Amino acid sequence: MKTFRFVFFVSLTIAFGASLNTKIGSIPPLGKLLSPFEGFWQNAEEPGINYLEELSIKGLHSTVKVYYDEMRIPHIYADNEHDLHMVQGYLTARDRLWQMDFFARLVLGRLSEVIDNPAILDFDKMNRRIGLKRMTIEFYEKTKSSPELHAVINAYSDGVNAYIDKMGYGDYPVEFKLMDYEPEDWTPLKTCLAYAMLSNTLSKGESDLENTNALKLFGEDLFNILYPEQLGNLDPVIRKTRKWDFNPIPAVKPDIEFPLITTDATIDKPHPLNGSNNFAVGPSKTKSGNVLLANEPDLELTLPSIWYAYHLNDGNKNVMGVTVPGTPIMLIGFNDSISWGVTNSPRDQVDWYSVEFRDDKRDEYLYNNQWFKTEKKIEEFKLANGKTVYDTIIYTHHGPVVYDRNYKGDNKKRNYAMKWIAHFPSTTFDAMYDINKASNYDQFVNAMKKFQGPPQNFIFGASNGDIALWLPGKFPVKWKEQGKFLMDGSSIDHEWKKFIPFDHYLYDKNPEQGYLTSANQHPVDSIYPYYVYDHNYEYYRGRRINDRLRVLDNMLPKDMMKLQNDNYNYMASESLPMMLSYLDTSRFTTKEWNYFKTLNEWDYFNDPNLKAPSAYQLWWDILYRNTWDEFDTISIEVDRPNKYVTIDRFKNDSSFVFADLLTTSTKESTADLMNITFKNALDSMENWVKIHGEDNSWYKFKNTTVRHLARLDPFSVSEVPVGGYGGIVNAASKGHGPSWRMVVELDPNGTKAWGVYPGSQTGNPGSPLYGHMIENWATANYYELLFGRDISNSDKVIFTQTIEAK
Amino acid sequence: MKLIARIILIIAVSYLLSMYLPWWILIVISFLVGFAIPGNGINQFIAGFLGGGLLWMTFAWMIDIQTESILSEKIIKLFPFDDPIFLLILAGLIGALAGALGAMSGNSFRQLFMKKKQKSFYS
Repeated sequence: MKTFRFVFFVSLTIAFGASLNTKIGSIPPLGKLLSPFEGFWQNAEEPGINYLEELSIKGLHSTVKVYYDEMRIPHIYADNEHDLHMVQGYLTARDRLWQMDFFARLVLGRLSEVIDNPAILDFDKMNRRIGLKRMTIEFYEKTKSSPELHAVINAYSDGVNAYIDKMGYGDYPVEFKLMDYEPEDWTPLKTCLAYAMLSNTLSKGESDLENTNALKLFGEDLFNILYPEQLGNLDPVIRKTRKWDFNPIPAVKPDIEFPLITTDATIDKPHPLNGSNNFAVGPSKTKSGNVLLANEPDLELTLPSIWYAYHLNDGNKNVMGVTVPGTPIMLIGFNDSISWGVTNSPRDQVDWYSVEFRDDKRDEYLYNNQWFKTEKKIEEFKLANGKTVYDTIIYTHHGPVVYDRNYKGDNKKRNYAMKWIAHFPSTTFDAMYDINKASNYDQFVNAMKKFQGPPQNFIFGASNGDIALWLPGKFPVKWKEQGKFLMDGSSIDHEWKKFIPFDHYLYDKNPEQGYLTSANQHPVDSIYPYYVYDHNYEYYRGRRINDRLRVLDNMLPKDMMKLQNDNYNYMASESLPMMLSYLDTSRFTTKEWNYFKTLNEWDYFNDPNLKAPSAYQLWWDILYRNTWDEFDTISIEVDRPNKYVTIDRFKNDSSFVFADLLTTSTKESTADLMNITFKNALDSMENWVKIHGEDNSWYKFKNTTVRHLARLDPFSVSEVPVGGYGGIVNAASKGHGPSWRMVVELDPNGTKAWGVYPGSQTGNPGSPLYGHMIENWATANYYELLFGRDISNSDKVIFTQTIEAK
Repeated sequence: MKLIARIILIIAVSYLLSMYLPWWILIVISFLVGFAIPGNGINQFIAGFLGGGLLWMTFAWMIDIQTESILSEKIIKLFPFDDPIFLLILAGLIGALAGALGAMSGNSFRQLFMKKKQKSFYS
């Protein structure tokens, strides 16, 4: 009996302890998680400043001072570059370790090791197939040929590990506890994650297979109407008056046909709302005579934020700006003499080649009438549930065969190799490292030579009055439409032959107009003697910025901020009058009159508290969906024409066939479609009000949300009171927006700068500072950034930390 | 008296060791206390339950006050409750059960041990 009792209690106790120490399904280990000694309670922070006044890090050469300002930006002052970046790694890990680990797992295709979900395994497989892991490894290997850069990467990595080594379970960021895994050692390889991550977000976008489907479905004429390469009087990044006086490398379309193989489903694409604005104003247009520069990258709004801000000083370089956690080099910022900012410069960087294998073994593929050997690489995935799965990736000289019988391909013919500029060895970090230290235009241009993508519009300003705009990257010389569709991988004629030489790159410097801007629009008009194509250009923000800068004069930094937060809805101004003109007002009900009046009286500004932007956007969305309802019936993947083209069709095609609604038996005209969708919008708005309440002002209706990276709602912030929208300079849409707003005045007596971002330096949801800048970001309240050679006595320093060598 | 001694012992030793060791050290300590100080089953259960429960709930409560419920308000939304007080109760309950089960196991182990000893003495 007593033995039985003993066995019973001990088994029960062990079962109890073990079950609360393990993750069961999606339930975290409750014993560990809820223990006040090591569980989530330990992540909760008291109000006030919780930094240690003194600490020590093993491996530092000498003492480092860190000053914190109100934004909690670390201003790191070290005696040498090694210590500077080691402390940078340490502090970033302190504030953002879970995010860094998450990014590294994303890039290396290892999220499925910690998240037990078949969709995550698919995501990992895709990321390895498209080569994020391989390019990170090659990128890292390449940094070894730049000793200074390599030392920076190593020091940073050592700093991250110095922090990890000091941690116990109780110190782990709360996400590790909820998802029940441990932070892994950091490596110099992981320190290179930003290249693959940014390439994945910025240069992976293409519609080659969608275009091929559409070409086959619609024929050439309709295809060109629905997806024009250039349309209307656009305002490209490089002003139209720019002349090109070099002899271009010729590229003539050979006598070939594109293989019109259709594809049912294509891989994930970067979000079309990823974009950015930047602009610089020269001395002739500013009140002080100093250059003013502004930049804001519009990316997914997340917590922890995509950016972390620093001020780094090692006695030699003195640079401030933002970078992706896990990365030691500033990607956007300024120093004592220059400032730079980037926007994505869409230039089709991915081409797909159809591959024909000799047989099922897939050891050989056809190229130029011969059989060439493939290279096979087996990728291993050690899943969170303990199982291991493998995926064989086949490489041709074009690149990895991403679509094949094991991925997205259901027929033997569908084998597509991906050729992506990001797969080439890259010195992009060398370029950024040099820019961090550059002090004039010539040094900046030398750095541009090393920048190999993802292609960016680099805005540049210097304290001597120079402004410039450079569009670096790596660009193959293409004949017209090369790479716009799926190409034949067995034909030598379909391949790239040469790259555009640096001397032929797009740039502009100190133009007479006194300003330079970019906003993801067409880089250049058709006068540039090379073929330039992308599937997704911006049509509105760039024109608004140029319209404003043409008329603005005597500009102050606050004018730059005002322009960054400009809510003018260019698209509405070009579509709403047309839409309203079709309405038959004679038979309006009172409700319809009210809806009409709201829209008719609107000045096209998407201010947060107005109702008209909600009314317009809802109507537009319904109109757009119903215009292209024919596309809902297409079983293969095809893009819907963009909104600019849609508006153009309404205006210029009097017998627009797509105006017809498939759900009715009658044939609708554009006027019918406008009247029907107007009524639908009104009904839909009444429905919205029933669910969400009377207040349908724009910010509530839009519901801008800064979402936690793991999509945990309690760690996200919604209904941010911000105006703007996609296509508006203040590009804050539902889940995307200005992820770092920066304005810089290049005063020769000391650079001045202002900035704000929708988040916080700390990524800890248990910190009272978590997301603390979101409100200031929404209301365009910039922080004046603390910067200078010596800031130790500034009253803006709220805390000083001393880090000793151990 | 033994009850209070047991409770104090569980709280004090667990508090000190939990700073360095995993959460289940509470079970081990309750086991040892249950083993070291003899008593009947109900008495043991109460001591473990109160010792573990009070320790966890009070300590969690202190942290929650100092940090103005900054995190518990968010974490509770991941559970099917809305008031962070449930997290304190849940933490207390886990501590209490860990203590109670540990103490009961310790006690039953002692009795097992005693029996064996008695057997050898009489035979």
